[in-house]
Amino acid sequence: MKTPALLKLAVRSIRRNARRSALTAAAMALGLALLIFSRALAEGGHEQWIDSAVRLGTGHVAVQAPNYLETGRIEHRLDRARVEGIQEALESPDMAPLVAAWTPRLAVNGLASSAASALPVRIEGVDPEREVAFTTLLNQHQEGRYLEPGDRLHAYIGLGLARRLELDVGDRFVLTAQTASGEVEGQLVRVAGIFRTGIQEMDEGLVHIPLETAQSWLGSPGALTTMAVVLERARMTDAVAETLRERLDGTRGIRVLGWPEASPDLESAVRIDDYGDYIFHAILFAIVALAILNAVMMSVLSRRREFGILQAIGLTGPDTSFVVFLEGLFLTAASGLVGMVLGFAFTWGFFRDGLDFSGFMENEMEFAGGVIDPVIIPVFRFDQVLISVLSILIIGTLASLYPAFRASRLDVAEAMKFEQ
Amino acid sequence: MTRQNGPTPAVRTEDLWKIYPQEPDPIEAVRGLTLEVAPGDFVTMAGPSGSGKTTVLNLMGGLTRPTQGRVWVGGEEISAMNGRRLARLRLEHIGFVFQAYNLLPVLTALENAEFTLLLRGVPAEERHRRVRELFAEMGLEGLEDRRPAKLSGGQQQRVAVARAVVGEPALVLADEPTANLDSATSAALLDIMEHLNQEHSVTFVFSTHDPRVMERARRLIRLVDGQIERDERTGPLPGSP
Repeated sequence: MKTPALLKLAVRSIRRNARRSALTAAAMALGLALLIFSRALAEGGHEQWIDSAVRLGTGHVAVQAPNYLETGRIEHRLDRARVEGIQEALESPDMAPLVAAWTPRLAVNGLASSAASALPVRIEGVDPEREVAFTTLLNQHQEGRYLEPGDRLHAYIGLGLARRLELDVGDRFVLTAQTASGEVEGQLVRVAGIFRTGIQEMDEGLVHIPLETAQSWLGSPGALTTMAVVLERARMTDAVAETLRERLDGTRGIRVLGWPEASPDLESAVRIDDYGDYIFHAILFAIVALAILNAVMMSVLSRRREFGILQAIGLTGPDTSFVVFLEGLFLTAASGLVGMVLGFAFTWGFFRDGLDFSGFMENEMEFAGGVIDPVIIPVFRFDQVLISVLSILIIGTLASLYPAFRASRLDVAEAMKFEQ
Repeated sequence: MTRQNGPTPAVRTEDLWKIYPQEPDPIEAVRGLTLEVAPGDFVTMAGPSGSGKTTVLNLMGGLTRPTQGRVWVGGEEISAMNGRRLARLRLEHIGFVFQAYNLLPVLTALENAEFTLLLRGVPAEERHRRVRELFAEMGLEGLEDRRPAKLSGGQQQRVAVARAVVGEPALVLADEPTANLDSATSAALLDIMEHLNQEHSVTFVFSTHDPRVMERARRLIRLVDGQIERDERTGPLPGSP
């Protein structure tokens, strides 16, 4: 019966103490806006780090033969029939929209030698047309050109390797590796182009050659060691990997890996960064909670007389605390809405094209096998926005509880003496 | 104390004590007060500062609990009531008028006056009708939508009286209601309260220093050091010719 009166009182109190209400709400709204911005930035950063790393590696989802991940040896390869089955699955109507690009690779560890020196390298036979849409190696192109369809004896190598082997574009060198038959055989290739990622391991140790050349040289026609798949969004990895597993169920000798399994270092790095974010958010939450607690508490203390009057004319202690709680709840809800709009507007309005951190980076920064792009484009995730909003709402509500409790514990006769 | 047969008193106290713990000596604000107020009476408690007038009103209204003794309002003992029942009693049977008006600053004059009716779930139409009638009676017409800060002291106190009586309580406790008002405003306010007492049989108990209030009283109780020094009837008993 009292609820309409208490609601009216709470709403009036918020409206008619506009400055106090605005200050309290501002703490929550700005906190939420900052939270949404920082989560979107972190998510965008992670998407980019993962994207960069998986495009230089085996994609968000990698389809391989069992044991290839552990051994890296050519005997653990996918034969032509399995490769065709995988391609069919990837091009099916329900999978195709989720897939940004896929590329077939036949990769082995071997040796690159020139007249100057010899270095251990990872040799990847690639389909140039598909690889162009997949890899980010071309973004760091230095000299010459990338592989093209029709190339036979061309190689695309890193700047470090070129320097160590004293190679220029057009120079020839020999790749040596164990073939499918167990023999060690060499393949003469010519440098078509040179890249520089900034990652020493790749610049000195990665060689791309045409897929058909690799299959022929290594005695594995039509075979692959990895079908690498890049998705539209990294967070779809588990779902796509699971769908692929279901699609390929019954095809023996196939293993579908999500990027966290294929690149455990990258997954650990993302998790560590996430933990850092959680600590930052916990501190932010604590600051917001204290700001709310302080504002609501000051409001309660300055309104002791008002609460005394309310109890004198018929409200109970719990009724009074309900009014304070409702005020906190309404302020929190309004702040949640404003904070969300502010967070989206700020993030999208100012940083839709990315936030440029290049001023803080003198050279390329490597992150778990990927190169960090200094321009981070924020990415909103519905579940994270929802968690941020709910967190602020819960914190705002909890922070109102103690002042509400204090309001119910008034000595009415004493409170009436209080000068407002 | 054994009561004589007769109408149930509007308020009754029995051996009422209120002691505030304080070092080194506790303060005995009320000391063994026993009294009865007849329904419809117009009673004034007078006495110097610190004589315990406000404390007695607070005890009668259940705003503070006695250290010892008992209080009845309309036949119901309130000294042992829990907070919820006390709040209900205050809402339905007691009206308060305070020296400092104590209107809710966030509500308009009309909303302040009707607030107890809103708490009791009275429909809006009925609330507004009753408040507007009272406002007309009390010369507050046209001030319905003003907030307390935009009203004079006399107007605020009249709104406070309207709030106290709009729910037709059996008892109105008024703590120095004219203390902040000039003579003319005080006289007008007392006229209103006398009128409500006579026309609506509302029982009034005042605490006051104001001789003008004492002159209007039909019973004058003088308190000194928390005890009744003198209790005299200065006007006819309610209901008597």
